[in-house]
Amino acid sequence: MAERRDALKIIGSISVTCAFPFAADELYAQHEGTHGAISGQAALPEPVYFSKADFATIAAIAERIIPATDTPGAGAAGVPAYIDFVVGRNPAQQKVFAKGLAWMKKQTKGRAFGQLGEKEQLAILEPLCARCDAGPVKGKGERFFKALKALTSDGYWTSKAGMGETLGFNGNAILGSYPECLHEH
Amino acid sequence: MATVYDVVVVGSGAAGGTMAAHLARAGAHVAIVEGGPKINTRTDFPTHSMPWEFANRQIPKMKPGKPGMESERARGLGGKTLTWNAVAWRFGQRDFKGKTFDGGGENWPIDYADLAPYYERIEREVGVCGNYDGLEDLPDGVFLPPAPYKCSDKLIDKGARKLGLKTIHVRKATLTQAKFGRPGCHYCGNCMAGCDVVAKYNSYDVHLLPAMKTGKLEMIPNAVVREVMTGGDGRARGVKFLHRETKAEGEVLGKSVVVCCACVQSVALLQMSAKDGLANSSGQLGKHFIPHFTGGVEAFLDGLVGAPLKDDEGFLDHAYLPSFMHERKRDYFRSFGAQFGYQNRRGIGWARETPGMGAGYKKAVKDQYPAFVVFSPYGEMVPNAKSFVDLDYGKLDQYGLPSARRQVTWMENDWKIFKDMQNWSKEILLSAGAKIQKVWEEPRTNHELGGARMGNDPRTSVVNAYCQTHDVKNLFVLDGSVFPSASEKNPTHTIMALAARTAEHMAERAKKGEL
Repeated sequence: MAERRDALKIIGSISVTCAFPFAADELYAQHEGTHGAISGQAALPEPVYFSKADFATIAAIAERIIPATDTPGAGAAGVPAYIDFVVGRNPAQQKVFAKGLAWMKKQTKGRAFGQLGEKEQLAILEPLCARCDAGPVKGKGERFFKALKALTSDGYWTSKAGMGETLGFNGNAILGSYPECLHEH
Repeated sequence: MATVYDVVVVGSGAAGGTMAAHLARAGAHVAIVEGGPKINTRTDFPTHSMPWEFANRQIPKMKPGKPGMESERARGLGGKTLTWNAVAWRFGQRDFKGKTFDGGGENWPIDYADLAPYYERIEREVGVCGNYDGLEDLPDGVFLPPAPYKCSDKLIDKGARKLGLKTIHVRKATLTQAKFGRPGCHYCGNCMAGCDVVAKYNSYDVHLLPAMKTGKLEMIPNAVVREVMTGGDGRARGVKFLHRETKAEGEVLGKSVVVCCACVQSVALLQMSAKDGLANSSGQLGKHFIPHFTGGVEAFLDGLVGAPLKDDEGFLDHAYLPSFMHERKRDYFRSFGAQFGYQNRRGIGWARETPGMGAGYKKAVKDQYPAFVVFSPYGEMVPNAKSFVDLDYGKLDQYGLPSARRQVTWMENDWKIFKDMQNWSKEILLSAGAKIQKVWEEPRTNHELGGARMGNDPRTSVVNAYCQTHDVKNLFVLDGSVFPSASEKNPTHTIMALAARTAEHMAERAKKGEL
């Protein structure tokens, strides 16, 4: 039988146990060796990795990506601290963030992003978001936004506010029997 | 003088646990040697944790400070059954005689009829839930009631039916009602983090602990086996190990040795035990490595977008799409089956890719959340010369032992199955009414199988039909490594049935003084 030319050869250790794969894989690799506990989800805690100014910019952008509505937004969910935690342990992400934050300062002409009005903030972010949704990204701003949205998403939807309050996660309970689907599907 | 056990069993998972318990009950003096520590399944796993309890939002394998499950050579008493998903199929006759049916791969030296009584023995012993489906290719067993379908299963089944296909209830070694002094499942949705009530089978609580009452079983945890020792007569005489923590050397002696420390690790242990590999006169040790390959299609079911969220994570997947291509016209050997919906709702990586930002994005994710489903087809790999297991002496592990290296090359047949199973997965989801989110472009390995295959001919196989090595008469290998062909079905039930069959065979032989 002919070997397919692009047959994939895997050498070394590959993950093989029956686990949950999919998008979470990326999350796992990125977070390797980062166990520990974040204490209280205060409004804006002291950053460990980022400077205060950069941290405030990140927090402001994260809040635009997932704003408070009838449920908490990214800030109240502790997303900025999560991003600080993850990027502080990931050199590849650090480069993307450093370039992105520098790019952002040019856009705001030196003003702090958080000091801009809502319209001004969205005028910068929404085109970036649209370009990220359109396909592969190249520019510093787009790469920064994509990374920041990914971490905001990860951090928010796995937080108690995001998963519990916004999504209404109601599992992890002890059930006497399985709640059978009685809908007419 | 050191104890000489009747049987030394290396590894305590599905095969080792079954083997050791059955042998001890038959009266043999058994030592089970496990690289990992003793784990208390009731208290040591973060079964009921949520991601926000951890800084990296990843639920760890063990609770803080509890050792276990940390490396391939040292997991814990119970092995991978501690964190498996408990899917338990009987193989059908086609799985044992695939070469006869379609010309590809290799036949097993046994038939379904040889293993059927042992499948039943396991089902009566551990409890398997399922529906009586009457499928020739997926034989029924002795079942507890199945778990009901999820909403998503009903939608997918409806889509499949439109295409002339049918799903069935999954069969799992998880109790759907109290039995054997164990409670029924409480559907907390986190089976693979370790079941803390033993509704799900694990070999430690279900096989090993009860077998301790025989007074014939000794458990030796924290012993990472590095060599099967042989004597001048060429017979196995026990194993050498390193202590998991202190790395101190030790030995366990036995009249027979059974190696069942998970497919690749079993092969690696034999390879480490002699210059050209122990029991390897055939040169076949490590060859014919045939792990399952999986595809994946992620989607949102239209019928559940924006639906009220139900606590229906259940025991992960509740339904299954059995193989159907094996009886249809196709341009490849073998076929595939599909699990679907075995993700719980605690990982939301897909939300990164939901377009937009702001309140609209937030609502879109919330609407999609109840509707997310992953279709995971499993394909059977046909053995090829470029897929094998060997040792990498350039890469030593924490015990100074060479790493077991998996070499996998997917061939034309594998790619054909992969593409077909991905297409079918998409078609079924679309037929069910779904928006496709992501389609994997490449196969990923799962369920390791092959490497010490079973056969009647000592020139082309490593073990015989009783999992006894052709070369060393008192050495047995028993796990996925002995599979000559992989089937597309999850392998554990077959591994346990083989263990029960081999244990009975060894006990009979021992009575006659033949071991």
